[in-house]
Amino acid sequence: MTVFSILGLIVVCAPALLVVVLGVASLIDRPLSETWTQRAVQCAMGVGLVASVAILVMMLAGNERRVPIELGHWVILHDDLPPPLIATSHHDEHTLYHFAFKFEFDRLSVPFVILTFVLCGTIGAFADKYMHREAGFNRFFVLYAVFVLGMVLTSLAGTIETLFTGWELVGLSSTLLVSFFQERPNPCRNGFRVWCVYRLSDAGLLMAALLLHHLSGEGDFDKLMGTGAWPQGAANLPPGLAFTVGLFLVLAVAGKSALVPFSTWLPRAMEGPTPSSAIFYGALSVHLGAFLLLRVSPILALSPVLSIVVCALGLTSAVFARVTGRAQTDIKAVLSFAAMTQVGLIVAEIGLFSWLSRFLSAPYLLYIPLVHILGHGCARTLQFLRAPTLLHDYGVLENAIGSRLSSDNSLSQSWLSERWRIAIYHFAVNRGYLDAVLHRYLVDPFLRVLRWCDRMDDRITEQVNGPVIAKPGEVPALERPVSGSLPGATTLS
Amino acid sequence: MKQPEEIEQIVHNAAQLLPAQGPVTAFAFLNSLQALEHLPFEEGLARGRDWFGCETYLSEVRYREKLDRGRIRLVDLQETLRQELGEHASEQVGPHGTVFDLRMAMLANPVRSAPVAELNWFMAETDAQRRYRPEVSPEEVLRLSEETRLWALRDVRRESNLHWSKVFPEINEATVDRWTDEEWRAFSLRALWEVCAQGVRELPIPLARCTAMRHRDLLQEFNGVDCDEHLHEFLIPFCAAFIDQGLATLPLPQREAGFWKSFSALHRARPPVEAWLQKLPQTLQQLDSFSAAEIIARQLEDLGIPDREAGEFLTRELLALRGYAGTLWQGEDRGDRFGRPLPKRTLLEYVAVRLTLLKLALAHFIKDVPGCGSVAALRTHLDKVLPSAPVTTLAERTFALFQIAQLMRWSAAALSHLTAEQWETLISEVTRFDDLQRRRMFHLAFERRFRVQALDALAIHNRGRTAERVAAPRFQSVYCIDTREQSFRRHLEEICPSAETFATAGFFGVAMYYKGVADAHFQALCPIVVRPKNYVVEEVVYSLAESHRLRSNARKRLATASHQFHIGSRSIAGGALLAAGLGVMASVPLVARVLFPLTTSRIRRTVGSVMAPPPVTRLRLERLTAEPGDTGDAIGYSLKEMADVGERVLNEIGVGTGFSRLMFFFGHGSFCLNNPHKSCYDCGACSGSAGGPNARALAAMLNDRRVRALLIERGIVIPEDTVFVGGMHNTATDTMTYYDLDLLPRSHFADFEFAREQLDAACQLNAQERCRRFYSAPLDISPVDAMWHVENRTEDLAQTRPEFGNASNAMCVVGRRCRTRGLYLDRRSFLVSYDPTIDDEESTILGRILGAVVVVCSGINLQYFFSYIDPSGWGAGTKLPHNVTSLLGVMDGAMSDLRSGLPWQGVEIHEPVRLLMVIEALPAALEKIMNRNAAVGNILRNGWMQLALMNPHTAELSLYQNGEYVPYVPTIDKLPQVQRSVNWYQGWREHLDFAQILSTTASGGKTPFSPVVAAGARS
Repeated sequence: MTVFSILGLIVVCAPALLVVVLGVASLIDRPLSETWTQRAVQCAMGVGLVASVAILVMMLAGNERRVPIELGHWVILHDDLPPPLIATSHHDEHTLYHFAFKFEFDRLSVPFVILTFVLCGTIGAFADKYMHREAGFNRFFVLYAVFVLGMVLTSLAGTIETLFTGWELVGLSSTLLVSFFQERPNPCRNGFRVWCVYRLSDAGLLMAALLLHHLSGEGDFDKLMGTGAWPQGAANLPPGLAFTVGLFLVLAVAGKSALVPFSTWLPRAMEGPTPSSAIFYGALSVHLGAFLLLRVSPILALSPVLSIVVCALGLTSAVFARVTGRAQTDIKAVLSFAAMTQVGLIVAEIGLFSWLSRFLSAPYLLYIPLVHILGHGCARTLQFLRAPTLLHDYGVLENAIGSRLSSDNSLSQSWLSERWRIAIYHFAVNRGYLDAVLHRYLVDPFLRVLRWCDRMDDRITEQVNGPVIAKPGEVPALERPVSGSLPGATTLS
Repeated sequence: MKQPEEIEQIVHNAAQLLPAQGPVTAFAFLNSLQALEHLPFEEGLARGRDWFGCETYLSEVRYREKLDRGRIRLVDLQETLRQELGEHASEQVGPHGTVFDLRMAMLANPVRSAPVAELNWFMAETDAQRRYRPEVSPEEVLRLSEETRLWALRDVRRESNLHWSKVFPEINEATVDRWTDEEWRAFSLRALWEVCAQGVRELPIPLARCTAMRHRDLLQEFNGVDCDEHLHEFLIPFCAAFIDQGLATLPLPQREAGFWKSFSALHRARPPVEAWLQKLPQTLQQLDSFSAAEIIARQLEDLGIPDREAGEFLTRELLALRGYAGTLWQGEDRGDRFGRPLPKRTLLEYVAVRLTLLKLALAHFIKDVPGCGSVAALRTHLDKVLPSAPVTTLAERTFALFQIAQLMRWSAAALSHLTAEQWETLISEVTRFDDLQRRRMFHLAFERRFRVQALDALAIHNRGRTAERVAAPRFQSVYCIDTREQSFRRHLEEICPSAETFATAGFFGVAMYYKGVADAHFQALCPIVVRPKNYVVEEVVYSLAESHRLRSNARKRLATASHQFHIGSRSIAGGALLAAGLGVMASVPLVARVLFPLTTSRIRRTVGSVMAPPPVTRLRLERLTAEPGDTGDAIGYSLKEMADVGERVLNEIGVGTGFSRLMFFFGHGSFCLNNPHKSCYDCGACSGSAGGPNARALAAMLNDRRVRALLIERGIVIPEDTVFVGGMHNTATDTMTYYDLDLLPRSHFADFEFAREQLDAACQLNAQERCRRFYSAPLDISPVDAMWHVENRTEDLAQTRPEFGNASNAMCVVGRRCRTRGLYLDRRSFLVSYDPTIDDEESTILGRILGAVVVVCSGINLQYFFSYIDPSGWGAGTKLPHNVTSLLGVMDGAMSDLRSGLPWQGVEIHEPVRLLMVIEALPAALEKIMNRNAAVGNILRNGWMQLALMNPHTAELSLYQNGEYVPYVPTIDKLPQVQRSVNWYQGWREHLDFAQILSTTASGGKTPFSPVVAAGARS
């Protein structure tokens, strides 16, 4: 074991141990006290941060570009069939399927892990006081630990399976934190919505993973993305395939990073306690999509069309979020649309630079979106944490300026006719109609199919078992409109 | 169809029920049911439950917890019950026992209930049929099972009693003779269950059906569709945009044209994508030529609401989204409290929009209701098809009786002899004493518990004590009536027994619109019910004017830049530049502010002080024009008005003579970060702002020789060498600020320094006493550490409880300080200074005091009361997901109604009892005042407050009950005594009982102060 692998293991194990400690304590119904929870959190975050900074220093000092750490091959299926479509380099034997847990420390993952530890550590300390004496204190920190583990796994993933594991943990914990206040219907409903979008995005990632496996028999990034360390890798896929895989990845990214047309889940996710909103949707999980794109940037580089698609998607989202955000009247929606604007821009940058970097052979261009992610994460977290101070801040500003703060409608709108102004406002206040469109053209048809199946099912059952008598007014579960689907609060007492 | 004028009247009336809170930045404490104060308390509560759908009592479990912890005692329950039942108490019910016994049994022990499936499981799978409830002692168990055995073997075994032998076939077996005690016990329980089941079987169970008035409730009952959900999701963003005070940078088009016009302009041209809104543009076009009231009248008709129900229906529709509706109404009615007031008729137009949308929604969802043709017929149709369900089940009834029989020690044998009529009486007694009634009883007992303790303490403390003021006080200080100042005054008097303290409503008689030197706008500093006439501004002294101009320009430039920065961080290019360029730097303040809040804020303050306004300022107090106004010479008070203010305050606190050399007035305010509800910690008598300027203004007025001359004419002689100093008490950090010290004469420096030393020491002790309620502060914290702890709390972004405000309020004493001096009141009491000996025949002074104090204190008390009892209904719920909206209020998470009321973190330690008002006055005086002032009369006579009087001469107490003053007889004859209050409070986090503090009663001499460090546990 080298020093690198010891440090690397510490980075991964610190959050994993935290999950185990907090999780097991909750499972046996002996949750830790607030003080001990906090100690455990601080300890895990501190150790993880120190270890990851140490790795960074060692990498910079020793000029190491990539340090892979393997946790063994879990499944290897050999076969005698013809070799996979693409013969990857370093491939001695023909494996049909190969599944490994592998972590990769390089110039992309290490900064991202450090960001994770810094922000999560700070939020951990913040939440300790903020959540003090709240009934869900323990639940919050268990989910928080799962989230941190998910983030670390995702950022360090060396194989697409590892990445998917982390990706899922992040999705699960995020959703459960959105619906943290489970006694009210809105958080549950919005949590459910976030969950649906995440599943769609997971499906994209899963399809991409499947395709990659199908093509090369394994999901190791280093094999797929070529030999060089990030950002210098060059993928060895045929451009056509790269485009197909890329499209699935874009689906995954669009869902996770709230790009058009999935954008509206982001403001809806602001149901949890403020620190969780800050860290998940302002700073970390919303950037995961962009991170994934950076990880697979060699694939983007292969297909100019794909780069253009990514770039266009990013720009559209940025413009959409900017316009929509201006009409929002609550601080959390304002901040989430502001975050969305930057994430859209980051995605556009990735699309542009990954292609440019190959074209100009200037891989360092990819550092720009990475720095953008890191900076945006920190700045936005601070803004979110300060959100409740808004009233105080506005008062201070007004007092110093000496008048009411003006809304800057003078410049951008004076040349627009009244009709256009109303049209733009209508678009913005309805959040680009995205919710309604998705609901009407995606969810409803889907539900109709399911309901048809349900009816067929009933009909068959009826023929087998005889007629079923329904009470008057009772509607089968699936018949209820989905947005009002929470039967919930029929109090027993 | 209703006439438009009638509609306007209905909406206007309904608006009175809406939360009257206004902007959260100027939190006004008001009774949530203020509009119902003309009704008796309990009737008001019933109305509130019905209209608002909120709880008005805690759950039975919570009261039982209080019973277990001794916050309610059995004797309180007994007394309350006896009073409630009157003669009815001794009526017989069941085999033996009275109604009183039955109800006591149900109060003292939990009678559980559960759905049928759970009940069946419970009876089958647990030992409920083998073991008696734990309350029944082994001896009683034996007696009960013996009784049952006798009955079983003698009566049931006989052929003649066929019915029971069929139910208990095992009795006829030969082995019955060899049953063990255990088997007989099990049998006695089974028999009890069967007898109870038999007893209730014949009695009819009433049916209940949904009697809701709104379509939404009926529809939801019918198939679970909640049309409010769709309606609100569409309506809330629009309302928020309409009331927005400047959060959104894209303003709502045509906002100035009014609610309806603006809504119509936005939606007339293009339909939203939602299916139910497809017809909206066309509907709006049709309705555009009508007035709001006409639209409402038409929609009511289309919705099938008959004229006689219109009032109630509209009220219920308004209350469905009451946070927004209330804010719309306040913005229209009290525009002076809003930066951007709303146009007149806003609420009316809101109702028009709401009903229009409601009709569209119903027209859409009606397709799920088979057999209903039109929206107008929907209510009658649903009324017909909705099934009625029995209110309870046989199993539930049996189970209730099964438990009660055990609690009453009734055996199966005894019960089996009851006649049908007796069963009926029994069941009706049990059902009548339902959950709501039991909670009501608990609540009254809870109030009684505190009332008895408080009145006992006051009676004992004043027994044999002559009422006199502090002789030759070293200095005097006047505070707000706030409960938080009560502990401060006590500490001051402990440290310095020669200090005399007073209290009056914290605006000190100076009702004004005030603008500080660094403020942009005037704000009203007076109780919410008052609309001030006078304006006062703070100005930098002439010699520092240039420095002030430079600094304020610097502030302005910095603020403009910072505003641009905030706005820019949301734009595309600016945001990218900031994030990519400077973003990582944000981690420094992020980490610093979370981990080291106090240090960070001190650094920031030091840097900011370069630009702070120059330290020497004056209030522009004297008006030169005849009429007051908000500019130039019209600002300020005339000399006569100043003398009026001074006379009024000095009379109210009862100081006409006996002035010391130095007299302080302390307003109070609270400063903390990251807290949208900051304003609810500020002075309630200043409409949720800090009251420092009021104290400063009063001191400046009374220091004016011309005012003093006018006062002499009115019989108040202020000695030449008396100097008044205004100041402010920061209740979050427990620090004092003094104003206009540069005007203090040289002769008074020593007096001031002495006083300041005492006051600083009192601050430390006060901080220490407050810290006992903070779980994050150590139990034995020292006064010095306590100061650090409380300051740290206010600077911490993550802190949701910077202080507890008035959360522990429970009583209010109006009278001379000597009545409460030296009594440990645990920050639970408002204290109002009033000297009955200098009041006139008509009790003019008391009338004026009560006119403000009763309204303000009942507002504060009942706001806490309701916010605590149903935190998510009346209160604002937990702070954690709060989301600042439109710069006016908060929503829960992504979208909800605007949350009015107090957040849970602010009321957490409250004990919900109606305020106990103790007034040092005679019944006759009070009757006169209640007759004169309708608001006071309503609150006191209708029981929104409890009232007791203390005889000014004999200090005897009487309690106001059902319109009569009943003499109060103390239940104890001794109070615990401690040397200093720290001995009493330290080491205990919960509410504390009353005690006598000995060190305040020392003679006039100076006792040196030494900080008390960890003075041991309370005695």
